[in-house]
Amino acid sequence: MATQLRAVLDGFAAASGPVSLAEMAQRLQLEPGILEGMIAYWVRKGKLREVFAMSSGAGCARCGISDSCPFVVPMPRTYELVRENELPVINCACGHGKEQ
Amino acid sequence: MVAHALTIALAGNPNVGKSTLFNALTGSHQHVGNWPGKTVEKKEGSLRIGGDDIIVVDLPGTYSLTAYSIEEIISRDFILLEKPGAVVVVVDAANLERNLYLVTQLMELDIPLVLALNMLDLARQRGMHIDVRLLSARLGGIPVVEVVGNSGIGIESLKEAIRSIVRRDFAGSVHIPYDEAVEAELPALEQAVGNAGFARPRWMAIKLLEGDLQVMDQVAQNGGGALVAAAQAAMARIEAATGEDAETLLTDGRYQFIMRLSDGVLTRSIVGRTASERLDHVLTHRLLGLPIFLLMMWGVFQLTANVSAPLVDWMDGVVNGIFGRWVAALLSVTGLSGTWVESLLVGGVLAGVGGVLVFVPVLMALYFAIGVLEDSGYMARAAFVMDRAMRVVGLHGKSFLPMLVGFGCNVPAVYATRTLEHEIDRKVTGFLVTFMSCGARLPVYVVVGSAIFGAQAGNLIFAMYILGIVVALVTGFVLKRGVYRDQPPQPFVMELPPYRAPRLRDIWRQMSNRTGSFIREAGTIILATSVVIWLLLALPVDGQSAFDDVAPEQSAFGALSQAVAPIFAPAGFGNWQATGALVSGVVAKEVVVSTMNQIMIGESLQAGATAAEADAPSLLDDLGEIGTSLVETAVLTVQETINIVPRTLNLIPGLGVPEVTLLDTGAADDTTALEASLARLFTPLSALAFTSFVLLYTPCMTTVAAMRQEFGTRWALYQVVYALVVAWAVAVLIFQGGRLLGLGG
Repeated sequence: MATQLRAVLDGFAAASGPVSLAEMAQRLQLEPGILEGMIAYWVRKGKLREVFAMSSGAGCARCGISDSCPFVVPMPRTYELVRENELPVINCACGHGKEQ
Repeated sequence: MVAHALTIALAGNPNVGKSTLFNALTGSHQHVGNWPGKTVEKKEGSLRIGGDDIIVVDLPGTYSLTAYSIEEIISRDFILLEKPGAVVVVVDAANLERNLYLVTQLMELDIPLVLALNMLDLARQRGMHIDVRLLSARLGGIPVVEVVGNSGIGIESLKEAIRSIVRRDFAGSVHIPYDEAVEAELPALEQAVGNAGFARPRWMAIKLLEGDLQVMDQVAQNGGGALVAAAQAAMARIEAATGEDAETLLTDGRYQFIMRLSDGVLTRSIVGRTASERLDHVLTHRLLGLPIFLLMMWGVFQLTANVSAPLVDWMDGVVNGIFGRWVAALLSVTGLSGTWVESLLVGGVLAGVGGVLVFVPVLMALYFAIGVLEDSGYMARAAFVMDRAMRVVGLHGKSFLPMLVGFGCNVPAVYATRTLEHEIDRKVTGFLVTFMSCGARLPVYVVVGSAIFGAQAGNLIFAMYILGIVVALVTGFVLKRGVYRDQPPQPFVMELPPYRAPRLRDIWRQMSNRTGSFIREAGTIILATSVVIWLLLALPVDGQSAFDDVAPEQSAFGALSQAVAPIFAPAGFGNWQATGALVSGVVAKEVVVSTMNQIMIGESLQAGATAAEADAPSLLDDLGEIGTSLVETAVLTVQETINIVPRTLNLIPGLGVPEVTLLDTGAADDTTALEASLARLFTPLSALAFTSFVLLYTPCMTTVAAMRQEFGTRWALYQVVYALVVAWAVAVLIFQGGRLLGLGG
């Protein structure tokens, strides 16, 4: 029997890309509070990751305040599936994903 | 070591009001230190219930009791090793299900528990009703106490529950049922753990099946190597039988338990509208929402242009006047007066960088106004307000969030498209965000607006922001309805924060960060570009002039600009000065202003500084002048702020509300040197065409690099070419259309 946790992972796998917590809660008909905990589990297991608006990429890295960009308005918490064979992403304290 | 018999621990998720409850329980009887060997804060206090002295230990906030974070390990170790008499688990009633996960883990530890249901007032406001008795029953009889930590409600009941639970040593009696395959393995493992002499056999068996490394290590180190091997064999059998690892099944079992438990315990009803909802009824109204949003933005730009105007004049006087004189005096002392070094420093660096820094007050005013809207919670609604307009073009409100970021800076806006689900939406939105008027374009509108439109500069700025949104929507329409028409529409779901009174401290932090970013840009990219522009302006191409002694038109920069200038003749700004500024603006949009400053007033600035240096006032006089003029500027700023009201009302024809005069500046010329030069270069129509071109043409280099990184070289190049064509077409349309309508030329 498929678990609810697996259904969450499948939900992200079926999506074309990143999906916000609120949207996925509506798609799976789950309480956002429950879903938040389930997502946290898969993030810890390296199956999902939070998508940050900022990046350590060429553009922002040139900016002296890339780690605390004041221009980014609060975006909805958004997650995506970590595809197999993808390089692991370390989310550092400043909120930027860095490929290892 | 076993703690005092009457020690209790306070556990809970982060931000559930645990500290408030700790303070309410212990009052001033507190001690703050660190957990041994850790940098995590440890708070300990005491309270007296009846005749019993009880020590209260505030555990770090955690969502669970796994061994993945230092906070979780501290909390778990304290409960396992220090053996408190009871644990009070603080639960946020407004987020019950999320918080119950920690409760299930504490229940598995078989320790006396009291559940303090906090923030019930907030839960009720949200229409949530919790059946406390049923909750307690489904948790095996664990006492559940309703509290409101910050008002002290329920604290006495909580103390009573603590005393009762500590005396009874009651741990509740609910075992969370897990998947059949797990339950099939648990009894044998639990038995083996018990036989090996370990305490809490069920909990330890569960942890072994979860593959908890800390527990496995402890068991192995205490002669339980066979136990670990047995657990690993059980894990393998579970995975073979179910296709799922044991940890996932165990975690899922807890969530299934919580979902079943919540059914009937937690009910949601439609409550009377909160203040936020009443505000939203108007501010995000399907018809009124958009006009209100536009009105708010118009107010923001009126504030930006009018309030900052006296400060810009003051900055201009200080930077280009007094500071220029100081630089000239310093160079005179060092014997460099009249050399190319003076030309570089005054005509290049000071004119370029200083010319942009003059506009810092404008940006501060903009960031302050935007900060108020953000902190109040209104900006988060902008995406909802724009959702209908975005749907018309085939996008949805979510795409407007990166566009909102673009009003600050286009670079993070490009990266913000990563939060969109579909690749096409990401690409199209990435295309559109570059039309959002970023902070770097603002100085161009302000300087051209003030020079040509005077007190109506705020309206020009507002018009530019709206033009950016309109061009983005039209582009989105073409791309989504024409090129990518097969994308299905998607619902827009977003959590909105409640409205709140803006907090000055937060607004100040945001404003200073954003302004700091602009100043840093001035110290790096603009400084470098100013030096390059100075070099090109000093380099003669007429074959007669010497280096740094050439008319700007005869310089390399002048020749290059003149070659490109005819392209812009149909748009009304086919002069080499405007063209040159636009070319350098590809580096960064602020550079448009710094280049204009260098071309138009760099030479006169240098001459002025040198001449003024000859009969310069003393340093003390200069400082006195700075102070006096600053006071006058403060009064004028207040005056301009007040006058926003009559100026707004006077937009209604025939109203004629008089403006307030707090300080009569007489015939004093309040235009900057650059504004005076621009007034000779542009007509109102060509100025409008020019600012529209600056808004729409090729984004800055850094944005193009971000586009290339996110969407590939080809997409970035499409954007660059498209933006150039659209910018030119719109500028020509404005200029030629205006002439046809008889609006001058």
